[in-house]
Amino acid sequence: MTDEKEFIQQLLDPKTQNTAFQKLLSDYQKPLYSHIRNIVLNHDDTDDVLQNTFVKVFQYLKNFKGESKLFSWMYRIATNEALTFLNQKAKLNGLTSEALQNKTIDNLKADVYFDGDEIQIKLQKAIVTLPEKQQLVFKMKYFQELKYEEIAEILGTSVGALKASYHHAVKKIEIYVTSN
Amino acid sequence: MKAFKLENEPKITTGFKTPEHYFDNFSAKVLQQVNEEKEVKVIPIYKRKKVLSLLTAAVVVIALMIPIINNYNNTSKDLDEDTLETYLSYQSNLNQYDLIQKLDTKDIQELSKNVAIEDETLEDILATNPNIEHLISE
Repeated sequence: MTDEKEFIQQLLDPKTQNTAFQKLLSDYQKPLYSHIRNIVLNHDDTDDVLQNTFVKVFQYLKNFKGESKLFSWMYRIATNEALTFLNQKAKLNGLTSEALQNKTIDNLKADVYFDGDEIQIKLQKAIVTLPEKQQLVFKMKYFQELKYEEIAEILGTSVGALKASYHHAVKKIEIYVTSN
Repeated sequence: MKAFKLENEPKITTGFKTPEHYFDNFSAKVLQQVNEEKEVKVIPIYKRKKVLSLLTAAVVVIALMIPIINNYNNTSKDLDEDTLETYLSYQSNLNQYDLIQKLDTKDIQELSKNVAIEDETLEDILATNPNIEHLISE
């Protein structure tokens, strides 16, 4: 934790800022990319959201109180950015968030940056039927393999509630895949 | 149909890929954006100031116009007594008789109160006025 405090100091000090931010980028760009990609699904949108996320991280760093870990704070920003992006895009296209996600999943088959087959598409379709919170929990737990404790810190919920959410999500997905 | 169990299946990956060398260039892209942001920061403050001063100017102009508008309405609607009197005596075709026609009982009572004629004066007038008989007979 002291290391983290020191690192944050480096990020705030104009002299060391660039090097520290470079390190932050190289440490977090891949996990945050996956996290955002799992929410917005296509590469180009992920690229936009990821850039915005890092710019926001940079802007708000001086307000970061160190109450939570840098890791979960950044994940939280990324999650908010991705969800806001999805809602705006849905609104712009006059669709509901679910309809937009379904459309994006249909487009995945033709996406050059997607090499999944039927089962991946089916799993994504099943996830879309879940409530937003369960979607997030499932994606973070199953795809990204984050620990419950980590997810709890990012989403601000208890581990118990998360376990229940994940359990519900898995059940619903299994029913969906079996019947489709 | 066999029930699908997530835990019995081999791990299903997302199937998402990224373009080649995407992450190599990504940090440079973000750093550039962040540095641009730092430089551009001055402009929004300046712009905000400009908008603010324009707004203040507009408010001041409007505030200055309030008395003018009020005055304009006053002068256009209500004529002051002097103007009215001058107009009536020099500009209009109204003569005494027209004015008398417009008087009602209340006005006449007011007039008799205001004009206190002494008895002597009245006698003088009656004595010197040759047409008095004609007036009385009317």
